[in-house]
Amino acid sequence: MDIKFEGEHLLAGQIGQISVYSAFSFSIIASIAFFLSAFTRDKETALSWKQTGRIAFLIHAAAVLSIIVSLYIIIQNHWFEYYYAWSHSNKALPAKYLLSCFWEGQEGSFLLWMFWNAVLGAILIFQKDEKQSTVLGVFSVVQIFLASMLLGVYIFGYKIGSTPFSLLRNEMQNAPIFQRADYLSFIQDGNGLNPLLQNYWMVIHPPILFLGFASTLIPFSFAMSGLLTKNFGGWTKDVLPWSLFSGAVLGTGIMMGGAWAYESLTFGGYWAWDPVENASLVPWLILIGGIHTNLVFNKTGRSLRTTYIFYLLTFILVLYSTFLTRSGILGETSVHAFTDLGMSGQLVVYMASLSLPAIALLGIYWNKIPSVKKDEQVLSREFWIFIGSLVFLISAIQITFTTSIPVWNKLFGTNWAPPSDAISHYNSFQIPVAIVVLLLAASSLYLKFKKSDLKMFWKRIGVIAAVSVPVAVGIEFFGKFSRVDLHILLFATAFGVMANAYYLFTVLRGNMRVSGPAVAHFGFALMLLGVLISSAKKQTISFNSRGIDFGESFTAEQNRANMLLYRNEPVKMQDYIVTYVGDSAAPPNYYYKVNYEVFDSLTGKVKERFTLLPNAQINPKMGLIANPDTRHYFSKDLYTHVTSVPDKTKKKEDQAELKFTDHTVKIGDTVYTSNSYIRVEHLDRVTTSDKVNISGSDLAVEAVLAIKTLDGKSYEARPLYYIHDYRGFYFDDVIKELGLTLRLNNILPENQSIVLSVAETKPEKDFIVLTAIVFPYINLLWLGTVITIIGFVISIVRIWQKKRATAANQ
Amino acid sequence: MKKIHIVGLIIIAVAIGFIITLASDYSQYETFTSARGETKKDFQVVGYLVKDKEMFYDPQHDPNYFTFYMKDKDSVQCKVILYSPKPQDFDRTEQIVVTGRMKGDDFEAKSVLMKCPSKYKQDQLVVSQPKAES
Repeated sequence: MDIKFEGEHLLAGQIGQISVYSAFSFSIIASIAFFLSAFTRDKETALSWKQTGRIAFLIHAAAVLSIIVSLYIIIQNHWFEYYYAWSHSNKALPAKYLLSCFWEGQEGSFLLWMFWNAVLGAILIFQKDEKQSTVLGVFSVVQIFLASMLLGVYIFGYKIGSTPFSLLRNEMQNAPIFQRADYLSFIQDGNGLNPLLQNYWMVIHPPILFLGFASTLIPFSFAMSGLLTKNFGGWTKDVLPWSLFSGAVLGTGIMMGGAWAYESLTFGGYWAWDPVENASLVPWLILIGGIHTNLVFNKTGRSLRTTYIFYLLTFILVLYSTFLTRSGILGETSVHAFTDLGMSGQLVVYMASLSLPAIALLGIYWNKIPSVKKDEQVLSREFWIFIGSLVFLISAIQITFTTSIPVWNKLFGTNWAPPSDAISHYNSFQIPVAIVVLLLAASSLYLKFKKSDLKMFWKRIGVIAAVSVPVAVGIEFFGKFSRVDLHILLFATAFGVMANAYYLFTVLRGNMRVSGPAVAHFGFALMLLGVLISSAKKQTISFNSRGIDFGESFTAEQNRANMLLYRNEPVKMQDYIVTYVGDSAAPPNYYYKVNYEVFDSLTGKVKERFTLLPNAQINPKMGLIANPDTRHYFSKDLYTHVTSVPDKTKKKEDQAELKFTDHTVKIGDTVYTSNSYIRVEHLDRVTTSDKVNISGSDLAVEAVLAIKTLDGKSYEARPLYYIHDYRGFYFDDVIKELGLTLRLNNILPENQSIVLSVAETKPEKDFIVLTAIVFPYINLLWLGTVITIIGFVISIVRIWQKKRATAANQ
Repeated sequence: MKKIHIVGLIIIAVAIGFIITLASDYSQYETFTSARGETKKDFQVVGYLVKDKEMFYDPQHDPNYFTFYMKDKDSVQCKVILYSPKPQDFDRTEQIVVTGRMKGDDFEAKSVLMKCPSKYKQDQLVVSQPKAES
């Protein structure tokens, strides 16, 4: 094309694209250098290869940073000549959400993943470690694949990757606008960011989650280095703090996703067993299993093979979940929208290139990996930790199996549908899993590695179990559970909370430095208690009381969770008197002001009063995007969101159907309607109007009308009459709330009066449709999560201190 | 055989047994015709919104009643009733998956999953995107 386009900023994209190529090339150089270093016998040559690898990796990391900076500059400056900026941002987007544009697109999320890998790799480079070459070799190989996702080049007709720096005019060559050199002056704004992502959780949740995903590469590459160097057990001590770090970050990321869903999505909860949620949960389950068997190996020399399986599988599952969520294969089963960039083939190659060698190596060396032949004591910590890890594995298999149904359909040409009630399907399997895990996590701490004092064990466990029963019964006193498995789960959570708390205070005597496992297990039990109570006792309070058909019982009837609220008409919802009082617009958002009042049943006085502002974004591209608002109490949450609002853009009723009554009136006269009286204040000669264009020779008059309703509200109306080319025209004014259409039909100067025509229709009331759910004790869930993470942190600090102490002693 | 292996095998056996009992949760995607025969079980039907037939939602009449017409893969049309407000962005939907069962001639849906082309193929919007000359 010989068109010289005007106004484009091509430099940033060129720098970005060159950085992509550099990141790709230097990851190849780094991986070759690191592997040569690992397999070169000669020490000096090995060291020089290692140096080469290090430098190449650091250049690679710098290139990754440069890609990010280039892309950020493009998005920040609204350079819509770039497809990525055009399709993921617009000028109205607040600066705080600019980062979210990064991860709306696939390219950006691969970039984020690559960035974290580069950061983690750079940290590992600066640590003294003889396994470094193999570990970073694996890192570099992963980076090759990730960088290739951004290449956007054609090789033998196949498109490799998709670059974030491609130009809009190249992406849409057929659009005629791109024939013009000055096309950019017509592209005033971008497509904008999906409103669901315009939320502070979406600024922090993806980076944390991706750091979690990225960090699973560390245990994977440590395990790979054990296999490649045949130093099978030599890496397990160094990896443990990293595995804990990964478990903590990935767990935080998953729960932040839950918090985001709860705070800003409208499916009414924090977890829905959605394929995308499952895809991040499963690697975490396996990683937690791996951390535990790793601990067992460090203490007893057992479970090394299992640790290999778990750590390798964690990363393989991260790859698999990337494939699931990025290839578009989940299309029919997930509410999450994913674009298929035509890279599924590349994703499969990526997945296979890392997992097949890992599986092959493990198979080859399986018999060489040391294991202890002698049976372990049945009542020992290692025995039950192993069992617990096995339960984690089985749980992960079940979730993966059901989540992968679309994959089975693709592979075997079947037409299976996922369970129609996903939540009860997963729950019926995962509740027993949770029970077993909780009981194990609580009691195995009372066992010691190898030999334990069994008398003491049974005594303590017996006492705690005996106390847990009345506690569980006590909780059910406030609200009974309907199913047997829930009774047992409640007992297990109570047992878990108390056993770990007791362990902390009496066995460890509050010694915080070694309390990591007990704190984490305590938090986990608390979290599950919160999950149990808030979901099993979740209550929709917005049952429709205005509707019809209430007597009939449908199974689909449970959906009737929405209530119509007319403006200023209070409605009772359980204990609350709820009134919708109006909306306020802060485009593109509309905030619906809803007042809640609780009255004391005895005195009738207001006990509590608050306002919630659930909002809705009337998005031109996506329609109504509702955003919940939640009242947080210590013991419960009141969660509300708007599910429907009147369509204000809808065309008005047909004018012909209006029945006007004419009134010939003078200034100061009053006209009565069924619900109001209208006083003619005065006439106003106007030169401009929002109703019609008035030219200089026209005569335009507005009648200023003051309207008072019977219940004391005031309105003003200004119907317009104007004369153009000796012909009279009128423009009505409408007051929707009163159903009034007012017309200045004629002006009669001879007797100083006007003809006012009034039409009445059924008043069009303003309303919203609202759903409101009470989640009891949901705070336990968040508190438990935070405590669990603290437990991880305590353990990491403890290992770190020990390591520094031993290093100092040497 | 070590004790731990025995315990492990028992756990795996129990788990497999359990997973098999859960297999009854899986079903095939059905059509309206095949769903008509069975009214005790929930079905999932994949299909498309019939855009030229009326979508009904009048919240002032009943905020929990929405109906629309859908065409399944065999092009059989059926009225679908959903006892909740009209889902966001429903007008844009092309492919739909409904879960529920037949009641008389209508399909009563418990849930509706939509696929909106706008979120997938943004390129389609480009025609209207560059502003008219002004």
